Amino acid sequence: MLNFAPTEEQEEIRRLAQSLAVEQLRPHGRSAEQRGNISLELMHTLMQTGLTTPFPETLGGSGAIEAVTYTLIAEELGFGDGGLAMNVISSLMGPVTVLLAGNESQRGHYIMPFCDEREGYMRHGSLAFAERTGGYTLAEISTTARQEGENYILNGTKRDVIHGVHAMPRVVLARLEGTAGLDGLCAIAVPKQPEGMHVKSDVQKLGLIAAPSASFLFEHAAVPATWLLGEPGNSGIIRAAALYSILRAGVACGMARAAFEYARDYAKGRIAFGRPIASYQGIAFIVAEMAMKLDAARLLTWRAAASWDRGEENSTVVQQAEAAQYQAVTIAKAATIDAIQVMGGAGFMQDHPAEMWMRNAAAME
Amino acid sequence: MIDFTLSKSQLTFREYAHQVAVEEMRPISLECDRTEKIPESFFWNMQKRFWGGAAAQARAQGQEEDELKQDNVRSMLSQEEMAWGDAALSTAIPGPGLAAPPILSQGTQEQQMRFLAPYMDGQLHWGALALTEPGIGSDVAGMSTTAVVDGDEWVLNGHKHYITNGARADLIVTFATIDKSLGREGIRPFVVPKGTPGFVVGRIEEKMGLRASQTAELVFENCRIPKENLLSGRESSKKAGFKAAMGTLDATRPMVGALAVGIARAAYETACQWMQEELPKGYPVQKRREIEADLEEIRQELEMARFLVWRAAWMADQRIPNSKEASMCKAYAGGLVMKSTATAVRVTAPGENSEHKQLIQKWFRDAKVFDIFEGTAQIQRLVIARRLFPEVDIP
Repeated sequence: MLNFAPTEEQEEIRRLAQSLAVEQLRPHGRSAEQRGNISLELMHTLMQTGLTTPFPETLGGSGAIEAVTYTLIAEELGFGDGGLAMNVISSLMGPVTVLLAGNESQRGHYIMPFCDEREGYMRHGSLAFAERTGGYTLAEISTTARQEGENYILNGTKRDVIHGVHAMPRVVLARLEGTAGLDGLCAIAVPKQPEGMHVKSDVQKLGLIAAPSASFLFEHAAVPATWLLGEPGNSGIIRAAALYSILRAGVACGMARAAFEYARDYAKGRIAFGRPIASYQGIAFIVAEMAMKLDAARLLTWRAAASWDRGEENSTVVQQAEAAQYQAVTIAKAATIDAIQVMGGAGFMQDHPAEMWMRNAAAME
Repeated sequence: MIDFTLSKSQLTFREYAHQVAVEEMRPISLECDRTEKIPESFFWNMQKRFWGGAAAQARAQGQEEDELKQDNVRSMLSQEEMAWGDAALSTAIPGPGLAAPPILSQGTQEQQMRFLAPYMDGQLHWGALALTEPGIGSDVAGMSTTAVVDGDEWVLNGHKHYITNGARADLIVTFATIDKSLGREGIRPFVVPKGTPGFVVGRIEEKMGLRASQTAELVFENCRIPKENLLSGRESSKKAGFKAAMGTLDATRPMVGALAVGIARAAYETACQWMQEELPKGYPVQKRREIEADLEEIRQELEMARFLVWRAAWMADQRIPNSKEASMCKAYAGGLVMKSTATAVRVTAPGENSEHKQLIQKWFRDAKVFDIFEGTAQIQRLVIARRLFPEVDIP
């Protein structure tokens, strides 16, 4: 039955995430950009809320991840700071992929350290998805895995892997040679760098600087079959990748909302020719457009998340998730650009966060 | 809980509406557009399908139990399917149409029975809503049609135009001012029955699109109606009339949004079908990929438009004020239907003059008005902006 209201419990979690976003993420956006990473203190604060351990309680987590609930969280984090939000969520996708695609022993091995009360907050995971020849679309994955005896031989590239240099688990999406679309996808946890795997840290990034990233090159890199999470082609791999798209869409909605609210408030306070600039239709309509498109993208994202939670067909979920991500990122880019336009010269200056947000949204591609 | 699934009765109703669109509308769509005429048989078929037997009973019950039984979401689903069939024909389906929202929201129980019960007698009846004048559109405060009390009657004088079903309507909810100096607070809704002396139908417009839909000019010259035809049951405050006009728009904008989604979907689906069935031999592969990417983008935007419509309707069902959301869905869908139909025209341009192509070209002509009526794209943005900036005066 059609319903556009989150549950009471979800509202409570959303409010918690929102207060973290406003009190912790937003004030630390710039400094995280300067540091090029999230601070340990902030990670510690986040861990204490339970938001960064959405794993089953049997593994020490705060309850297994649900797409709608976590999409609401992702939007709030993205609203606080896009760079930090992508830092946190991408990190999470490492263990989440293990949870969804891996076997019992892999889950215990990789996930439990994240839930460790004393040291868990210091850990990062990563999920290598996009490639030089594509974006965040599963069908575009062309890194191949070819079985050879006890090993799989990897060939291909990965780009913009957040926490790709230092992550445990470092999960790589690939496909069995000769497969296409959603068939034959593999997720490989790479605990140490095999021969033939080259890792290059990204420098001088456009945006999402608070989320350190790397690119990978695999040239006949042999990895043991035991590194594969579950069986090749298992459904959990597809669900993990779809969840990443949905959460990236959630973050993008948060980015758009941040830009919309900042521009709205600026337009109320800024006076030109004796009136707040919001009283001019030329400005007011830009802000109205931002609000309208944000709502559209959010609804598309929620629908994909709801389908994920309902366990709809993988092909349906993937199509909805990838559409949501494409639209949300497109709208976040437009909204952040428009926010700067509403603010005029001030938007271009680093006194305001708008210019950072525009670079962050563009770096979501 | 956030949920995008439809109830069983909603799905059944949508399926029913789709079947009607396929069987009754598509077959006569091009012919009606060409001739600007609708065969009598269509009206009777629609009367039977939507008002006959069980449907009429359900409706009567719904009205007796007041508006509680309203299912705006269900009616949006139906609107989308009807417009997918033919938006012009959908406006001509017998029933009170746009006259219903103001009667339901502003009429007394007695007025609702008096004006709406006749629609259930099994005959062909229509209703109309007269707001627009030659001199005013969205700026209803500048209305120049006047209503003056004289004994037991109201005397109406003025001009209305662009009135859908204006010439065939059995009753017209007409907005008029009782005191121009009051501005928008002087506006009141009146029910004018067909055939009232002093009420004359003027010219029928010729239009670029929605050609089978009847758009009439109405003239009131010392038109006298009984005092009890003033809809003023619910609220006696001064703002009641203006509120009725605006409230009507809050209810009809999602409807217009749903219609726009229906046309946009028809164009999208037909363009996809054309790519499958009618793509000329030797068509460049690169170009084909570009078009497929364009169509995929439209498919995604269609879903966003539909969800905005559903949300506005859902809010209405939940009794949550929705004028911002109603404007959002109307503005978004109005833009999308232009993009979708224009893309379909471009995609199918190299093809032969097939029926698919003719339909697409018709929808392209039909689409434009969805960015205009019930408030232009700009008016919608103004409504949204005023909600976003309640403390700022946006002139």
